[in-house]
Amino acid sequence: MKKLIGKTAWLWCLIAIPVYAQKTAFKPVFTNMTEFGVLLGQVRYNVTNISENVSKRQNITAQTFNGVQLRPKLALGATVGVDWYNSALLMPVCAGVRYDLAQPGKKNLRVFTSLDTGYGFTWLNEDPTGYETRGGWVIAPGIGFRIGRPQNANFILSLSYKRQEAEADKPLAWNEIYKIENRVYNRLAFRLGLSF
Amino acid sequence: MRRTLYFLLGIVLVGLNGCTDKCKETRTFRQFTPRTFTIAQVRMGVQAEPARTLVNPGKIYTKDGFLLINEIKEGIHIIDNRNPSSPKTVAFLRIPGNGDMAIRNNVLYADSFMDLVAFDISDPQNIRELNRVKDVFQNGQFDGGYWSLNAQQELINDQKVDYVTQTVSTDCESGVTNGGCANCAVFDSRGGFVQNFSSTMSGSNAPAPSTNGTGGSMARFTLYDNYLYTVSQSDMQLFDIKTPADPKKGNKISMGWGIETIFPYKDKLFIGSQTGMQIFDNSNPEKPVRMSTFDHARVCDPVVVYEDKAYVTLRSGTTCQGFTNQLDVVDVSNLYSPRLLKSYPMKNPHGLGIDFPNLFICEGAYGLKTFNASDAMKIDELEHLEGFNAYDVIPLGKSLLLIGQDGFYQYDYSNPRKLKLLSKIPVQRPYPAS
Repeated sequence: MKKLIGKTAWLWCLIAIPVYAQKTAFKPVFTNMTEFGVLLGQVRYNVTNISENVSKRQNITAQTFNGVQLRPKLALGATVGVDWYNSALLMPVCAGVRYDLAQPGKKNLRVFTSLDTGYGFTWLNEDPTGYETRGGWVIAPGIGFRIGRPQNANFILSLSYKRQEAEADKPLAWNEIYKIENRVYNRLAFRLGLSF
Repeated sequence: MRRTLYFLLGIVLVGLNGCTDKCKETRTFRQFTPRTFTIAQVRMGVQAEPARTLVNPGKIYTKDGFLLINEIKEGIHIIDNRNPSSPKTVAFLRIPGNGDMAIRNNVLYADSFMDLVAFDISDPQNIRELNRVKDVFQNGQFDGGYWSLNAQQELINDQKVDYVTQTVSTDCESGVTNGGCANCAVFDSRGGFVQNFSSTMSGSNAPAPSTNGTGGSMARFTLYDNYLYTVSQSDMQLFDIKTPADPKKGNKISMGWGIETIFPYKDKLFIGSQTGMQIFDNSNPEKPVRMSTFDHARVCDPVVVYEDKAYVTLRSGTTCQGFTNQLDVVDVSNLYSPRLLKSYPMKNPHGLGIDFPNLFICEGAYGLKTFNASDAMKIDELEHLEGFNAYDVIPLGKSLLLIGQDGFYQYDYSNPRKLKLLSKIPVQRPYPAS
């Protein structure tokens, strides 16, 4: 417990000290980043000795990050989204970080990275009779551009990787006793959006 | 530096998984292998053995503080349950091909493939075979596997059931990848049908000195007056048990296909079938007469009755097909024309039991629900116990017997809003619990 407190205090110092180190005090402000895009992936299935299938997957995704711009480059907050997979409608609720890596040539273009992790819920999902889908852990690291002046609303383009776990109970055929599907969606997400 | 690390981490993450969805379906299913025994082997196989653990429990039956749990196709566990907080397994009675049982006085009736066997159970430590009615059942089904009698050659053709677990990669679309056989109808031997013919009720109907046990769910055997009623998939076979130790073959009544269970209430017999509920007038116990049929969707449909209401649960899945999961309350005050009063949605109802006004419904993998059924139009849920599998229940006035995939449980339901677990006998399943 003591160790944990120590660690937490140390972490807070890491975040806080640079804030105070700045010459003109930066005032934390609310920040929002709302994006809409596609999740691209593929799946290999029915693998047997004589055959296998591979098919490509494209799904729609939307998410909104709401947080606090703690430092000029760092924002912490929560990300809530909706992912329309073919057989599940998941709602990831995550803790998120946005960090500006660079502002090449000091122009109105900034490169940022993002990391969101949390749990994908099935609140919005409607299962067919006999099916029961449960969500799971989700993690999404990514990189993107913000176009626009830092004090204005910006246009965003981002590319991220998303790993979403889920599982589903399936209806049983006449000779079956138990059937469960463990799913891991590994997708590339390409998104467009706005931030302010 | 940190930036490079971050990129590397990203690349590793992507590299490890690619952009490929990984979906694995794990399923456990029954695999059937044909095998044949001689009738002599079956008849020689009956014997009392030391107590053993529950593996594949079927029906439950209780009488005078003793509890009988069927081990599907193997025999009967005898359990001393005079103290529900600590039940003791006493013995295991090996009966090849056993699935059902009923007790009148000190005589236990049990099926053994083609025969009906009577046992003297006055001393549970020393059970003796009294008599048997030979070659009375022609075929049947246990845990999805069928058997049939070949009387000429004195053979039983049976299907051995093995449990196989396999994992396959799927397309994450949860569609039916292993179709099974959509039109195959197989009876669900432990489909979870619960009946509560309370001992007082049976007692008052039966001739005074006779005492019957309290029947387990899903029962295909029941006692009334001087008769033992057994239902097969299509017929009702009566046995005359005027002399309990010496059962005699009685009438056989054809009932149509898909018969699952039999539930006596007063002088009526309620027969649960896969397509409906049939009501028989049993005022002449030797010759029950069909009064009416209440039809519904093709699903499994356990029934319990209290006064002029019948509670029927409809369940989809497994062998039952259909896509209905609900509790139907049926007005049976006019036995010639049963009328649906109201349906309540359920998740996956299996057995049910009523100790009015308490109604208990097993929800399969979703646990047990307790309801207050005093108003048929407004059945309230009192408690929902989760985290275990429940498929069969018998309320005994104060304690509740419940069997599920991972154990046999006893609850005290003196406060129906908060059931108290009294004891549990674990089950060692041959496959992972769902």
